Amino acid sequence: MKIGFTLLLLILTSAAIAQISISGRVSDHKGQAVPGVNIYLKGTYDGTTSGADGRFAFTTTEAENQTLTVQAIGFKSQELVLELRGQPITANIVLAESINQLNAVTISAGAMEAGDEKKSVVLKPLDIVTTSGAMGDITGALLTLPGTSTVGNDGRLFVRGGDASETSIFIDGLQVGNAFGSTTSNVPTRNRFSANLFKGSFFSTGGYSAEYGQALSSALALNTVDLPLRNQGDVSIMSLGGGYTQTLVKDNRALTASANYYNLAPYQSLVKQNFDWEKAPSSWDSEISLRRKWGNAVTGKAGFIKAYFHTEGSNMAIWQKIPGNDGRGDRVKLNNRYHYGNVSFRHSGSKGWLFYGGAALSDNRDAIQLNADDIRQVNRIFHSKAVTVKDFSAQFSLKNGLEYYAKTYSEALPGQNLKRQFTDHQFNHFLEATYYFSNRLIMVGGLRSGHSTLAKETWFTPRFSVAYKLDNQGQFSFAAGKFKQLAEEKLRVRQTDLKNSAATHYILNYFTVNNNRTFRAEAFYKNYDNLVTYKGLASDPENLALNGAGYARGVDFFLRDKQTIKDTDFWITYSFVDSKRRFAAYETKVQPSFAPRHNGSVVVKHFVTAMKSLLGTSWSWNSGYAFNDPNLPGEMQRKTKPYSDLSLSISYLPKPNVILHVACSNVLGRQNVFGYQYATQPDESGSYASRPVGQGAKRFLFAGLFITLSKDKKANQLNNL
Amino acid sequence: MKKQAQIIILLLLSFFTASAQESPYQKAMKKEIAKLTSTDSLPVLQQSANAFGRIAELNPGEWLPVYYQGLAYTFQAMDKSLSLDRKDEALAKADELAQKADALSKNNAEIVALQGFVLMAKLNADAANRGQSLSGPVLQTFGKARAMDPKNPRAYALTAQMEYGMAKFFGSGTEKACGYAKESLAIFASQDEPALKAALMPTWGKGLAEQMARSCQ
Repeated sequence: MKIGFTLLLLILTSAAIAQISISGRVSDHKGQAVPGVNIYLKGTYDGTTSGADGRFAFTTTEAENQTLTVQAIGFKSQELVLELRGQPITANIVLAESINQLNAVTISAGAMEAGDEKKSVVLKPLDIVTTSGAMGDITGALLTLPGTSTVGNDGRLFVRGGDASETSIFIDGLQVGNAFGSTTSNVPTRNRFSANLFKGSFFSTGGYSAEYGQALSSALALNTVDLPLRNQGDVSIMSLGGGYTQTLVKDNRALTASANYYNLAPYQSLVKQNFDWEKAPSSWDSEISLRRKWGNAVTGKAGFIKAYFHTEGSNMAIWQKIPGNDGRGDRVKLNNRYHYGNVSFRHSGSKGWLFYGGAALSDNRDAIQLNADDIRQVNRIFHSKAVTVKDFSAQFSLKNGLEYYAKTYSEALPGQNLKRQFTDHQFNHFLEATYYFSNRLIMVGGLRSGHSTLAKETWFTPRFSVAYKLDNQGQFSFAAGKFKQLAEEKLRVRQTDLKNSAATHYILNYFTVNNNRTFRAEAFYKNYDNLVTYKGLASDPENLALNGAGYARGVDFFLRDKQTIKDTDFWITYSFVDSKRRFAAYETKVQPSFAPRHNGSVVVKHFVTAMKSLLGTSWSWNSGYAFNDPNLPGEMQRKTKPYSDLSLSISYLPKPNVILHVACSNVLGRQNVFGYQYATQPDESGSYASRPVGQGAKRFLFAGLFITLSKDKKANQLNNL
Repeated sequence: MKKQAQIIILLLLSFFTASAQESPYQKAMKKEIAKLTSTDSLPVLQQSANAFGRIAELNPGEWLPVYYQGLAYTFQAMDKSLSLDRKDEALAKADELAQKADALSKNNAEIVALQGFVLMAKLNADAANRGQSLSGPVLQTFGKARAMDPKNPRAYALTAQMEYGMAKFFGSGTEKACGYAKESLAIFASQDEPALKAALMPTWGKGLAEQMARSCQ
């Protein structure tokens, strides 16, 4: 009995110490050791972590068939079935790389992102206000990026030899009609939307996704902030007006409401203006945005709905001189009313499904009085969109979207009881497939199709891009695609069956971010077809046809460095564009006025802790604008002197919640000329009189005080600005 | 009678051994928690993250292994030798784990403090670029943790560190930061550390609080 008991004990202990050792090495597909890998028997505590040489060893008392699990960040998990029969086991494991959105290559051809955390960003929301020449205008900040050219008498976005109408602007994926304030000719405008609405943007200077259409040159997608952080009130007092914004946040909901009023009259009474204002521009706007979030990202089902409404009104009256005429010229009075509203949502479901979309309506009304004539223009754009994205695997995803546009435009001369208008319904479908061959190689192919009921045309535009990441952080990407756009409303209303103009883009890009330095180089070729041509003046075009064509080609460079000089962030941009086109009233293929050949800018921001201040300067330059001199043979034969503007700014934070921002544009007082206007008839000596198109004033001085009121006294408007 | 006594003793003994006998979960957790809180070596932190991952897989209802696994990744991202990519990779994992822990244990100040810590590590990884956008959310998350549990010493110590950094940046006084550091030390002193350790509850952060208090002097 006693012997039996001892025997039993022996068996038990020997069973208990029947440990099997499991060892081996983990390597990647190149045979390189992978350290830090979690290797364990599924369902047990037995396991270990691989060492620096990829080797591992552990023991187990488990028996029979067990599953060995191998896991490491950046690699696909692996499972192996082991037969544990008392013999030591050696397992050499080769891990396959998994697609990691954090490190994987991204398409950078044509694209410039602005955001807070992503590494591929070129510009941050904060930069929009702290870039001294920008004066808080989104467009102003984007003009310091490669591919753009400053057209100081317009203020809109001109990209790579393209006209401003060739850039489409989207808020949360939905088109914004008339995103820029209405203005009279040669008086620059601004983006209507405050920079503090947005958390990021995607600015594409070409070759963009099949998701965007009706833009021959460029797409600017602005994304609004999600849930604000806290309840707060933001007061702004500026040299041109002021405003107040209240934000209320509770759980997963938020409401923001704001109202602003601007009037340039007091400023213009102090600073002499080159423009002959009868009534300085004044405007008001008010906005409401509502947000609601649901679900939990961990459980896979989560979503967001945003609603945003903006309404504004503006007034101005100006006398515009006529070349060769001594009088005050034409009196232009402009009264604008504008509404924009959108509702957008996104929802991520289980099994890799993502849904997003929404609807937007913009309504722009201009009441113009040109001398004694009244003109009424109403432009309304409705856009709705529904998109599904399905990730079939980490490598492959497919985007499928439907869009509907209703575009209405009318112009009327009430005095003469004349009116003309059109309504166009457009249907679009886009399909885009993304495939990651590895973390280094990605390919995107897309097809966008559209149909216009008014133009009676159906079109297909293919897009393609590929990107390859090198060993040294750098990456090359290439994009090509076809883009279509119907003519501007003012032209289309005269000839409603005008079909699409077309552009084909080819872009090669090199992009690298390393240690707070970003470098980007891009070469592009853009071919234009079927551009709208007409006879006569732009204000009264006749014989509209799609007989135009042209091209734009060039290179641009961008370097941003936050590393080299302490507390200093600077960027340098150079763009070369060679563009020639026959369009509008041009008889031959010529360099358009809005495409200077050489464009450059330098932006420097320096933080001085002792002064609690951010000092900024920016300089932008171009080689001059082409213009047409009717006194000479040929077209667009002359060029203005180079454009140059040096701006300075200071943002001072006396307290964390108070910001004082002072900025001055064109501190050197250079008289920039954007072109020349000529008389329509020659004078007695047979020559056409001219006058330069210049700036409203030599310099523009801006001062603003921004105060944030919240429980957390540290909050300030720099986040939003 | 003698036999009865023997049986009782035997019963008592087995009862005691059973109660003293820790479950494999507790044993593994204690060992790994001790390892995690006493190292700043990257390979050891990765070993620790892996070990907690194994424990979490076997105990899917427990928030603590997931919490410690997230903490191990956050500690990794504090290592200055890592590249920004590697830090972000570790923090993406930490963030995912903190959210997972939150799903397992709702309204847990300890987990909210970890979420704030992950955000703070993200900010620290690239302060020049992320300071502006992340300092608000970091302070807000710590504030939430303090409101949920006014006796959580880690929420106070981390707030102290964040406030201290911001005060230095704005060139303003560090009184607020130092107040939080002091508060944190007081809470640590009032806690029954062995009891918390026995319950596998977090006890880390005292070193940080002491370091902050020293900076304040």
